Amino acid sequence: MKIRYSLFLYYASLISFNTSSNAETPREIVKKANELWHGKSSISVCTMTVIKPGWSRKISMKSWMLEPDYALILITGPAKEKGIVTLKRKNEIWNWIPTVQRIIKIPPSMMLQPWMGSNFTHDDLVRESSIVDDYTQSLIGEEKIQGYDCYKIKLIPKPEAGVVWGKLIMWISKKSYLTLKINFYDEDGTLVKSMIASNIKTMDGRTIPTHLEMIPTNKPGEKTVLDYQSIRFNVKLKPSFFSERNMKRIR
Amino acid sequence: MLASLAWKNVWRNKKRSLIMILAIALGLWGSLLAGAIWMGWGESMVNTAIDRDLSHIQIHNQKYLQNKEITNFIPDGFRVLKETISVPGVKAASGRTLIEGMAASPISTFGVKIVGILPVEEKKVTNIHTRLIEGKYFESNDRNPIIIGKKLADRLNLKLRSKIIISFQGLDGSLIYAAFRIVGIYKTESALFDQSNVFVQQANLFRLLNTEPIIHEIAIRLQSSRLMPQIYNEVKTKYPNLSVQTWKEIAPEIAVTSAAMESFTYLFLSIILLALLFGITNTMLMSVMERIRELGVLIAVGMKRIKVFTTILLETIMLSLTGAAGGFAIGGITIAYFSYTGIDFSAFASTMESFGASPTLYPFLPMSMYIALPLMIVITASLSAALPAWKAVHIEPATAVRIY
Amino acid sequence: MYIALSWRNLWRNKRRSLIAAASVFFAVLLAVVMRSVQNGSYAYMIHSSVKFYTGYLQIQGKGYWDNRSLDQSIVINKKQQQEILNIPHVISAVPRLEAFSLVSHEKVTKVSQIIGIDPILENNMTELKKKLVKGKYLTDSPDGVLIGQGLADMLKVSVGDSVVLFGQGYHGVIAAARLPVVGIVKFPISEMNNAMVFLSLPNAQNIFSAYGKITSLAIMVDTIKNQNKVYKSLKAMFNNQYTLMTWQEMMPDLVQGIEIDNASGLVMLIILYIVIAFGIFGTIMMMTSERAKEFAVLISIGMKKIRLIWVSSLETVFLAFLGAFAGTVVSLPIIFYFHYNPIPITGNAARAFDTLGVEPIFNFSTEPSIFINQAIVVLIIALATALYPALFIGKLDPVKAIKS
Repeated sequence: MKIRYSLFLYYASLISFNTSSNAETPREIVKKANELWHGKSSISVCTMTVIKPGWSRKISMKSWMLEPDYALILITGPAKEKGIVTLKRKNEIWNWIPTVQRIIKIPPSMMLQPWMGSNFTHDDLVRESSIVDDYTQSLIGEEKIQGYDCYKIKLIPKPEAGVVWGKLIMWISKKSYLTLKINFYDEDGTLVKSMIASNIKTMDGRTIPTHLEMIPTNKPGEKTVLDYQSIRFNVKLKPSFFSERNMKRIR
Repeated sequence: MLASLAWKNVWRNKKRSLIMILAIALGLWGSLLAGAIWMGWGESMVNTAIDRDLSHIQIHNQKYLQNKEITNFIPDGFRVLKETISVPGVKAASGRTLIEGMAASPISTFGVKIVGILPVEEKKVTNIHTRLIEGKYFESNDRNPIIIGKKLADRLNLKLRSKIIISFQGLDGSLIYAAFRIVGIYKTESALFDQSNVFVQQANLFRLLNTEPIIHEIAIRLQSSRLMPQIYNEVKTKYPNLSVQTWKEIAPEIAVTSAAMESFTYLFLSIILLALLFGITNTMLMSVMERIRELGVLIAVGMKRIKVFTTILLETIMLSLTGAAGGFAIGGITIAYFSYTGIDFSAFASTMESFGASPTLYPFLPMSMYIALPLMIVITASLSAALPAWKAVHIEPATAVRIY
Repeated sequence: MYIALSWRNLWRNKRRSLIAAASVFFAVLLAVVMRSVQNGSYAYMIHSSVKFYTGYLQIQGKGYWDNRSLDQSIVINKKQQQEILNIPHVISAVPRLEAFSLVSHEKVTKVSQIIGIDPILENNMTELKKKLVKGKYLTDSPDGVLIGQGLADMLKVSVGDSVVLFGQGYHGVIAAARLPVVGIVKFPISEMNNAMVFLSLPNAQNIFSAYGKITSLAIMVDTIKNQNKVYKSLKAMFNNQYTLMTWQEMMPDLVQGIEIDNASGLVMLIILYIVIAFGIFGTIMMMTSERAKEFAVLISIGMKKIRLIWVSSLETVFLAFLGAFAGTVVSLPIIFYFHYNPIPITGNAARAFDTLGVEPIFNFSTEPSIFINQAIVVLIIALATALYPALFIGKLDPVKAIKS
């Protein structure tokens, strides 16, 4: 869920928010913010920095996305991992490892293991857990985050939803429906982790946050950071692009 | 005639004979009880595992043993289950749906074995319902109730009424995530078991999997473990295409411990019998020495040496058998009493990790021992008679008569 | 003066004294044998179990045991390794680098436990080489892997095929490698059979980017008695820098079984003592009543009772020490013989042991404390029985005694 948000940033003002915004339900606000992060397709270049107490690692990658089912991520650095490709089709994941010339499918038991050593899991890459449909949304206030006026929205998971959280709180900017902060709580109301977006820039004509941090609460000195160098939106991509053959060919 | 002579001789020195008889009786009583306790403990260890989840016999799809995939269920499982229950000697049988999956909480994840059961049926076969330390055994109205072990709850930092997300692969390969509500927490003597096994209702799994009811494992509980070999053969021949195993094949390490205990019981009983042997020999030797003049006279007036030998032998045997009879009587009663009430071993348990339930032991002695031991006593007695009788036989009447 | 008197009294009736001493002699012998077998088996069970994989102790990184993360791996340099080996009672120190990763062959991928080992050291401890069923051991081909048979069957690989390893290494760096399968090993425990892959330590360290690091150092001690001493020495060496785990913490389920064994063993020993006590008592009692006339005469010619008591007590003391000493001395060669030529366990028990790859034998312990302790206990019992002659003499009516 987290990577999807971070990898799909779309400029919202193209969509008509100027009219009748007062009659919006919290659900609609979240829906629009969600749609901002989902687009139809994109190609992006970013770096992911994993920070742990005592060490840190930087991975650079180039990603091709076709919402909602397809993604291809090519690792471009560091040297030891360069060339590794992760392919997602619906809710299955494969890895292409050039050093051993093999494609390996990730089995279900590994889905909750970290992806590339980060704080994101394989599951985060694929899960369709819908922030709109799996939760009940309610507006609980308004706050200023990083200078932007934001809606403060509480999300409670529906009883059957397969999500571990007890509650989420999202801060979504009023004007452009940018999700600037998400807090994740367990059922006792304890904050377990937060996602914070910042460094709003213009990319391919759209205004989006380009710096995201995922910070676990109880692990001091630990966080995962995503920085976007460039994003192109609405590129021409077909499902056939996301194939085993392309995994090996992509550069 | 010799017999009554021997008998009278035994009672001539009441004190000595009584001491000997008491020693034999106590020694035997003690060994029988200790042996029974040991056997009882071995059986209790075995039973703990059987009661907890092994059961006596298990049936699986043959492919399942190699590869615990969800698709390797028992073909026509419910029919097999029904037929198994009706086999004479079978006390109860339960069908389980088994899935390898992951359990997740906000802070952690862990690999688990999801056991889908029919709570009422499962109660007849295993005893998880008696191991609950919190909550109840599937009495709630929750949509997806689950019972997990204490170790897992601690690991995932969850408690009673917490939400736990269980994920697993469906029959079509897709990943399924579901929220379960913890309605009970159990604890057994195996932390490993507590960590890996979670119990849910079968119906919930079938709904999540969107499938007809399937089962991967049939666990059979017998009226008595002695019936195991016979029923095992019966079931095996009836279902040649399925894998049928006894608990010994499934958990050989438990079989080792209980078999080892039996060996040790025999070894120690032998040592105790040896001690008795020396005691009896000593006593009889003393008794012969004491009567050396008298025996000398008897031989001098014409009693055949073989008769002397036999007398001593008979005396020894009678002494031993009297003591043995006493020991058996008391031992038998004690064992019978304790096998009914059980012995509470929680005093010993306090030195180890605490059990989920108090460890009561039911001592018992197999029939074979009740036959073997008297035999061992008679042999011991005869052997112990050897030296004294030999001595008696070789008395020189002339010298003996003059001994002070 | 009394000493000389008692000593000479003993030798006046050699036969009688010898019989009395013999009862103590055999008592010590049997007690030593029983305790030796108990201790020996206790130590043997533990030794066989820890030898299998965990070792008596393990040095690990802090937090490693709960998370099993490579990030908590440690470094133990050559100097420290040598220091550890120099600790008295340490037999071996076996380094390992363990990680979970995917193992793949053609279309099949399984999660497996990857273990980087020093082939020679590992074999010295666990006899891994013996478990080889196909192919060669790692010493002959250090770049290859050994796979558990269950896993090999699931992946459908045989010796000569290659498998791909893919997982996460130290500090999150991706670990990927293609390795030839050089051998297949079979374990009696299916969990190990279905998940383990062994490769040489340098190879593993390279693949997982954990250069010079290990996840654990398994320590083998010569016998369980010395575990605590070694623990203290290791603790002093690493002083909270690393975690030191005991087999009791790593295999808690095993602890119970073994402790129960031990407890029931003590019960058996007590029963033996009771039997022995009665045996010795009976002998002393008879010896005393046999000498009733002798005592009566002494008293009637003027010997003070108290002096007689003193003399006879000394006699008993001498007898007891004689018997105990002889018993101890004779038991030494017997115990040592069985220590080096253990009695085999047969039958069901033997088969059960075999399934676990443990040699079925009765192991005799040669711990000096066994001999000393048992001798002391029997001595105490024997000396306690000396009360009887004292009381007897005290109550003796010399006139009646002479007449009888």
